[in-house]
Amino acid sequence: MPASRPEPRWRRYLRFWRADVQADVDDEVAFHIGERIDDLVAAGMDPEHAREEALTRFGDMERVKSTCSTIAQEQESQMRRSEKLSVLRQDVVYALRVMRRSAGFTIAVVFTLALGIGATTAIFSVVNAVLLRPLPYADPDRMVMVFELLNGGRGRASPGHFHDWSELSNVFEATAAFSGRTYTLADGEPMRVYGARVTPGFFKTGYMPPELGRYFAPGEEESRVVVLTYGLWRTRFAGDQAIVGKPITLNGEKYTVIGVTPAAYSLTPQDERLWTPLSFTPQQRSTYGAHTFQVFGKLKPGVSIAQAQRELDRVGEGIRRRYPDEMKGRGVSVVSFSDVLVGDYRTQLWVLLGAVSFVLLIGCSNIASLMLARATARRKEIAIRGALGGSRKRLVSQLLTESLILAVAGGTAGVLLARFGVRFLVSAAPTFVPRLAEAALDPMVLSFATAATLVCGLLFGLAPALRATRVDLQSELREGGRGSSSMARDRTRAALIITEFAVALVLLVSAGLFLRSADRLQRVPLGFDPSNVTMLRVALPADRYGDTTAVQGAFSRIVDEIRSIPGVERAGASTRLPMWGISIDMGLSVEGRPANRSSRDVGHVRLATSGFLETIGVPLRRGRLLSDADLRAEAPWVVVVNETLARNLFGNENPIGHRISGWTKAEAPEWREIVGVIGDTRSFGRDAEIPPEIYIPMTQRPNGAWDAFQRSMAIVAKTKPGMTLGASARAAVARVDRQLALYDVQPMSEVVVQANATRRFNTILLSLLGVTGLVLAAIGIYGVIAFFVTQRTHEIGVRVALGASRASVVKLVVRQAATLALAGIALGAVGALWVTRVLGSMLFQVSVRDPAAFTAAGLLLLVVAIGAAWFPARRATRVDPVRALSAVG
Amino acid sequence: MPFFPPSMKNELLHGTLEVMILKTLTWGRMHGYGVGRWIEQLGGEALRIEEGSLYPALYRLEKKGWIDAEWGLSEKNRRAKYYRLTAAGRRALRDNASIWGEFALAVSRVLKATDAPSMP
Repeated sequence: MPASRPEPRWRRYLRFWRADVQADVDDEVAFHIGERIDDLVAAGMDPEHAREEALTRFGDMERVKSTCSTIAQEQESQMRRSEKLSVLRQDVVYALRVMRRSAGFTIAVVFTLALGIGATTAIFSVVNAVLLRPLPYADPDRMVMVFELLNGGRGRASPGHFHDWSELSNVFEATAAFSGRTYTLADGEPMRVYGARVTPGFFKTGYMPPELGRYFAPGEEESRVVVLTYGLWRTRFAGDQAIVGKPITLNGEKYTVIGVTPAAYSLTPQDERLWTPLSFTPQQRSTYGAHTFQVFGKLKPGVSIAQAQRELDRVGEGIRRRYPDEMKGRGVSVVSFSDVLVGDYRTQLWVLLGAVSFVLLIGCSNIASLMLARATARRKEIAIRGALGGSRKRLVSQLLTESLILAVAGGTAGVLLARFGVRFLVSAAPTFVPRLAEAALDPMVLSFATAATLVCGLLFGLAPALRATRVDLQSELREGGRGSSSMARDRTRAALIITEFAVALVLLVSAGLFLRSADRLQRVPLGFDPSNVTMLRVALPADRYGDTTAVQGAFSRIVDEIRSIPGVERAGASTRLPMWGISIDMGLSVEGRPANRSSRDVGHVRLATSGFLETIGVPLRRGRLLSDADLRAEAPWVVVVNETLARNLFGNENPIGHRISGWTKAEAPEWREIVGVIGDTRSFGRDAEIPPEIYIPMTQRPNGAWDAFQRSMAIVAKTKPGMTLGASARAAVARVDRQLALYDVQPMSEVVVQANATRRFNTILLSLLGVTGLVLAAIGIYGVIAFFVTQRTHEIGVRVALGASRASVVKLVVRQAATLALAGIALGAVGALWVTRVLGSMLFQVSVRDPAAFTAAGLLLLVVAIGAAWFPARRATRVDPVRALSAVG
Repeated sequence: MPFFPPSMKNELLHGTLEVMILKTLTWGRMHGYGVGRWIEQLGGEALRIEEGSLYPALYRLEKKGWIDAEWGLSEKNRRAKYYRLTAAGRRALRDNASIWGEFALAVSRVLKATDAPSMP
């Protein structure tokens, strides 16, 4: 066995410096060749031949060398990786140990982060579900809706417009007209469902492969066929796989089921649940005056919305030349379907996400100042590690590892919380937000949560880590780790506090604006009295109630039966309730005046029974309300109008006794005498304009009105307080006709609340976020001041010992805190002025610069800052000066 | 002439060579040249290999962690890379040597057989 001596030490350092794989392989091979030559020479070969022989015996030297280098390099990088891993493992183990040692701190940080990241993730999941995910239909980018504009507002289209847009333009791959209606589903317990009549192109404008069967084919307009939604198929037909081809009864007529849409086809629970074909007669196709259809379209590939708009403008000009009267004040507008769908929710959801990120930001700066406080307390430890040769990079990475571990713990807890948050949001938010119910923690949302977690970790970890490691080792070790910087000079901390207050101010101002807006809205008088009023709805099937006298007779009897229920004080019925139901408007002319057909001569028509206006508490201003006598067949034709309509048509003149008529092109006017003027009601919601309204006795309805109102009325009953009207009303209706479906039984007060659901949701959520921001900011400034005061116990002790009064010391500390808070408030005010601009469309009668909201938010924050500083400051002055002075380190 | 046909030789050789290297290193630390010489002396002509092919095998073993390498000076005061068996290498040798032994036995049984085995 050959002996060997160790290599000289210095050579090791060469390898330490950098492993030179190539050179090592060369050396090793050279050594082999040298040894072989020596052996051959020793065996008697001459050196020349020995070299040749050695090389031959070795074989393909280049291949051997390159194979060896490759293997060695692989090994080298493997080692480097594992070295890095072991460093990371060390950092993690160390961090965990530190975290366990300071459990209170760890819990505080993880809890704050969990709340912040949880709330942010929950709201992001809604943003993702509603705004970010592409619509489930084929080519959603090409889906549009086409509106007729009336005085700039989006309105429905006439059959004539729909026909011309489809036939005289070349921008659409498919178009469809859509008309929502309710159907009574017979075959078992009668059930009312919302559905729509659509032209066959409908399922081409928004296409998804059917779950079962097929969609309408061209030429199927006249057939009695129906397509069901997935939901209806599952609930009403128990998911019957053989449903296609089966007959069902809709509004008393037999329809054949031809298909079922997939589950994702319906975007909200309010969407229609079945479709029947819609067809237009040639006569309808040349009607441009009745605007009742929604129009969907799918653009040809490569056609932009602007192109389509220009094309339809051109088609519209053609219509205008032919029908100048009908086109007065009208235009056309092509809008992308997703914009129509998402509409105002876009701004609202981004605002919520912005607000919740602000809360998270405040949380992060709180944690940052906690970390900073702790890093300062650990200065000695860090200084010692630095003195022992820990590089700054290594120390920073150690501290960052700690904050990232905290962040990941917080983020994980946050995601768990977000699961509840999503559930809460989905149940609390208005259900008509499209696709809201699909909000979930999908991969996109989880990636967001991960990113948020990492950003947080860096955000609250980096500054403290950099700052803590930038210590002057000598002075630190000498001073014994006693911090001596004053608050004003501590820029990092001051910046954190100022940021927190600025962000909190923006949040509070926003919340304030929403609360002011909600308050303003609440003060808007409804014009009616929903208390103790219950509504219920009945629709009569066309097969058995085709005759209008039958319809009117049935509704009269139902109202009478409801009135006879013990505890019901009054009852009545109307085709529409304030804040609820379909509104149909028509042009009006006044007897003795030339028809001028301006947009002011319009009335929203409601058919009603006597007793309806009294039941919902609409006040009478002049004349009289509708009476039982008005409902008799031979009664003269009368109407009751609201103040807005009276003002629109008659100015200050007394309208009683004037006669008005809905104008129709072909027929003679049907004059109706105005017998009463009632107070205005907020018919379309507190935040909407008051429409001009006409109440017509239901027996004096215009031609075709029962079809337009789908033979449906809302019955209202004023009851004794606290009484519920479910079963007894059902029994009352059953006494008239046991096959009638009764639906939408709910208190009127609920209708009023629902009309306001979106605003309420926004207000509640933003106020919640504002309060959270406030509390976090308070905790933040309390923590920082408390820390300062503790650090300065020595200095305070000196001051007190030298005769400073305790009050003056408290004042000093509080003043410093107030200065920081004021700086934050000022900065936040500037930010708020800029940020709240986006809130404009969401506010009601409140300016985005509302001074009250700004002042209140600023004062609140200032008070909180002073309070948060006062407690630790007072505690500090209680310290015995002798103890404070003798305490070193 | 080598004992294996060329194609088979490569595949078998990888494993065989590694086992033999491990075996030689059980006697102590040694540089590549020394390892080759030991194998040559013990195996004789039958196991004669291209000397260069030893090195990839050594590097592979080092990567697997079965042997360790360290630079040192040879008896003639030349810089040489010395290999040493690690604990993992010792374990691997035990496992592989027995597998190799069984394999070699089986092959020689087949080759020495005089009668065809009876069909079941």
